[in-house]
Amino acid sequence: MSAKYVLIVDDDPDLVETVSMILESKGYEVGKAYDGIEGGEAIKKRRPDALVLDVMMPRKNGYQLCKELKADQATRGIPVVLLTAVGEAVPTTTYSHAEGMAVEDEDFIPKPVDAATLVEAVERLL
Amino acid sequence: METSDRIRIGGLKILEGGACVVSSSPLGANCLSADICAPLAQKKINLTFFTHLSGDRQVMCTADEVGETAFTLVKSRAAPGTELRLQRGTAVISVYPHDKGPEIMGTFIRSLARARVVLHGLASSPSAISVVLSARREKAVVEQLFEHFHFPAFASPQEFFEAQPPPEELVQQVVATYQEKVIKVYWILPQPDLDLWGATISSTAILEGFAHALIDMGKLGLKIPFIVANPGLGGRDFLLSFSTLKAASQGDQGPEVRRILQWHLPEIRPMRLTPVAGIFFHGPHFGDRYGVVYTFLQSLARVRVSLLALSCTVSSVSAVLKQQELEAAVQVLQKTFAAPSPGAPRPFGRPGGGAGGPRP
Repeated sequence: MSAKYVLIVDDDPDLVETVSMILESKGYEVGKAYDGIEGGEAIKKRRPDALVLDVMMPRKNGYQLCKELKADQATRGIPVVLLTAVGEAVPTTTYSHAEGMAVEDEDFIPKPVDAATLVEAVERLL
Repeated sequence: METSDRIRIGGLKILEGGACVVSSSPLGANCLSADICAPLAQKKINLTFFTHLSGDRQVMCTADEVGETAFTLVKSRAAPGTELRLQRGTAVISVYPHDKGPEIMGTFIRSLARARVVLHGLASSPSAISVVLSARREKAVVEQLFEHFHFPAFASPQEFFEAQPPPEELVQQVVATYQEKVIKVYWILPQPDLDLWGATISSTAILEGFAHALIDMGKLGLKIPFIVANPGLGGRDFLLSFSTLKAASQGDQGPEVRRILQWHLPEIRPMRLTPVAGIFFHGPHFGDRYGVVYTFLQSLARVRVSLLALSCTVSSVSAVLKQQELEAAVQVLQKTFAAPSPGAPRPFGRPGGGAGGPRP
């Protein structure tokens, strides 16, 4: 069976490197993108099995990209884990707070991300 | 240059509005004291870039508005005879990911040469390479970077600059800040079995000869997980340090590295220290939180670990130390910082597809 493909989209290159190392060590295939527009292009080229998405990014933020994916029939089934340094996590895993209240995602992890928490979130969604 | 001739790379970041303090001590001490960062931490000044090299040279960057305060504080703790210089109006430009590829680092430095910049500091993080320079030269540098790299997110330098959010927008996005009691980090990654190379090199040579040497090292398949260059006062020379990591199948590449360096830089006398170890401390985000580098140095000082070289840029801290001090260093850092417990990713470049190194 081929490895599940997880796409990481974050403008912090060291975070992308860390998260990709963590997920690769767990047997996932990992794709990388460094802002929302590049992330959207990467999804068009290859549909990921899960998306790890930062919120605060230049040009197109994670909320915007997540909204677009959830509005599109072709991509709305991709599970999304949002990472954010903004404020605190909210208890629900369906909606995030503040600007993200209207964004439907599957999980929400505050930054700096804990490796075990992230892997657990991805594994739960796949 | 055609798109196909350029190196495809993930991204480019500019951190503007900075100030830079360059410190050089005539003592030539190899030990970096935590004291140098203590007054900055006490005054809650964030460091956006910090490097140290044996020979007691440091480059530290802060926001421009606190540059003079930082300069005064560093001066107050400096050893007698230390020379200090404050440069205001600086920017930090980073490209990523370098994938530890010397050819990417070399091409980055060659782009700086073609933009005719004066370097105030050069450093790597686990995935990015950064330079400190006068903000007045950033446009010229970005134009050169687009000549040599292909950034999928931006078609041109104009598009890149148009996409940069104005400073006030960044401020509006900050809804809360906090200082953790225990600083959280993404990961602490030890990397044994590195070679550390050091040389004093002229400003011209670092921009031309060293850039070409790096590109040649890339052809050998070498990986460079760490690089730092700190200027001497007056800007005529640099203290340069970089570490190489060989693939297990390649054997000792030291003689070949030395040959490449001497071919491109016949005037330098490179020193090699082997084996040394690296600690890659991912994501403490020291630029957004004061006291991170101070806590890092203080914790190592408690177990009498002295660093051979240190680089803090983007969001991570990279340090090179004696191999025999690695275990003690990792243990104290694991206790001091809230880091995930060891077990997941293994050090890069190890036998078996980038895996297999010892865990702390």
